[in-house]
Amino acid sequence: MPGFDFSNYNRNAALHARGVPLPKATSTGTTIVGCIYDGGVVIAADTRATSGPIVADKNCEKLHYISPNIWCAGAGTAADTEFTTALISSQLELHSLSTGRKPRVVTCMTLLKQHLFRYQGYIGAYLVVAGVDPTGTHLFTVHAHGSTDKLPYVTMGSGSLAAMSVFETQWRPNLTQEDAVKLCSDAILSGIFNDLGSGSNVDVAIITKEKTTLKRNYIKPNERTQKLKSYKFARGTTNVLNEKIIHKADLGNFVTVEEISVTGPGDKMEVDA
Amino acid sequence: MEVLLGITGKDFTLIAASKAAMRGATVLKASDDKTRHLNKHTLMAFSGEAGDTVQFAEYIQANAQLYSMRNETDLSPSALANFVRGELASSLRSRKPYNVNLLLGGVDPITHKPSLYWLDYLASLASLPYAAHGYAQYYCLSILDKHHHPDITLHQGIKILNMCTDELKRRLPIDFKGMTVKAVTKDGIIDIEFDDDKVVKSA
Amino acid sequence: MSSPFSINGGACVAMVGKDCVAIACDLRLGLQALTVSNNFPKVFQYGEHVFLGLTGLATDVATVSDLFRYKVNMYRLREERAIAPRTFANLVSSSLYERRFGPYFVSPVVAGLDPKTGEPFICGFDSIGCIDFAKDFIVSGTASDQLFGMCESLWEPNLPAEDLFETISQALLNAVDRDALSGWGAHVYIIEKDKVTKRLLKGRQD
Repeated sequence: MPGFDFSNYNRNAALHARGVPLPKATSTGTTIVGCIYDGGVVIAADTRATSGPIVADKNCEKLHYISPNIWCAGAGTAADTEFTTALISSQLELHSLSTGRKPRVVTCMTLLKQHLFRYQGYIGAYLVVAGVDPTGTHLFTVHAHGSTDKLPYVTMGSGSLAAMSVFETQWRPNLTQEDAVKLCSDAILSGIFNDLGSGSNVDVAIITKEKTTLKRNYIKPNERTQKLKSYKFARGTTNVLNEKIIHKADLGNFVTVEEISVTGPGDKMEVDA
Repeated sequence: MEVLLGITGKDFTLIAASKAAMRGATVLKASDDKTRHLNKHTLMAFSGEAGDTVQFAEYIQANAQLYSMRNETDLSPSALANFVRGELASSLRSRKPYNVNLLLGGVDPITHKPSLYWLDYLASLASLPYAAHGYAQYYCLSILDKHHHPDITLHQGIKILNMCTDELKRRLPIDFKGMTVKAVTKDGIIDIEFDDDKVVKSA
Repeated sequence: MSSPFSINGGACVAMVGKDCVAIACDLRLGLQALTVSNNFPKVFQYGEHVFLGLTGLATDVATVSDLFRYKVNMYRLREERAIAPRTFANLVSSSLYERRFGPYFVSPVVAGLDPKTGEPFICGFDSIGCIDFAKDFIVSGTASDQLFGMCESLWEPNLPAEDLFETISQALLNAVDRDALSGWGAHVYIIEKDKVTKRLLKGRQD
């Protein structure tokens, strides 16, 4: 990774020292789970993103692509899960191109934990890593500080307790694929309804030796009902003081709307003005 | 308790700055000039932390003059305002930022249109018809809201400025020792005689 | 001192319509309770059909808008084509995440039409670049809570440009009337395949 730019850090630290609160990052309050079955692994996630108490996104994607046979579910700071998985995905792709082998889940997990450990938990990514590679089926969790676990079924995020209660009561060895998908989606549903940080829909990814199947919005238990009445305003409701229409024909290659009014010659500093 | 005021009109921009140089509760000087000429038709007034103000203003002044010498043309007021903003914004991200508030007044050398830019120490930039910095904002913006008009003459502008300074004398607890007043017109920057000795009775 | 996101105030909203998108902002610039300017637009254009709305700390609004003007110009020179809204959104995202540990205090909103298909595109970001892809609307600024409520109730799918204008305008106007730090007029852009309409709205001046 080229690295972060810390040039605003001192300014913001000075502001923080004067009592300014840190900016609210979008976090994936989140319930994410994973479960190994005979012949593959299933991971699942809810689709709610929050900013404090506000639901920022009602249908976000928390299942991240790493490689065709490795996928990752992310909880914690949304931007961190997004960029960390993208970064490791890219490193893994280059690695498999140079070695000529399929990427392995342990490699992915190791790259993730080393990256996260280097940043001492300041990169707030909590991940469930799952995949099938030539050495078999694997399921890991990776915490923001760099610790990892290897288990047959895992949960993470604010809804992890609700989801784990489902696993602890219903999990048994030698599940079929249908059983595993049902178990995982039930665990997510438990998070959706019992954890305030989780909500909306269930996303599921099934990874086998042959292929990966991503079931986006596998269950939609919270669909918005059609509004009974339309709240459309009559045209002309809004008081307009000034209107300017720019047709594509006269638009050309402007960078800004044609607002710069220079009557005389010169003073045109913008490249495309 | 430093006062900076700026008013644009039909063909001019007025800039006024208090004459008092203060340190704590002490007035060190009663004839301070808190303005710098950037070029023939752009004037900058400044307030803020002692030391930072003059250092930053003269740095900008030197760069504006260097540009004029190198290119045999002056930067327009808008170009200068954006240059100043850039310098202040990068300073803001340094270990010890400049604590300077600015008003930048000018008349465009080509269009002859007057302009006034308001910049605070955070490098927020706004182009305004009239502006103030510090406590003067709270006393003068309402007066300017009521009496300002884009087509006022220089004479009318000075009259409104007098209303502002009268209010400041009436309300501010410390004497700011009168104002340095300058006007930018298409013909250049001119000093305006201003009656600082007028006594305003408090209510 | 209060949060840098609410020193200057401001609001921005984007919406999807039928073959069109809309983006709107208020015009206030303030310092806490003192209003400094009522002509401080927060929506910037970066191509025929690419718009960026920026709310938050005014100095960073200016810095970030200038930065992207530079980056988009460099993109056009290198690629010899205009930037697409989706590409621009990824540029915004990675530029913000680069400053993960020293962010700009802005909440950007991107709105535009795909240059090839004409498909509407909107998205929003947090200050460290996490993208919120939405199919309906995006809100940001000090009136974002109010805007969420307005948009959630007023927005409906497949609004034609004329109706989308009324919906986004009323959503913004009524939201900022319940936010002391936003308002004082508004700009609304309606972006269609063959034309862009910019309107200045009459808003309360209190």
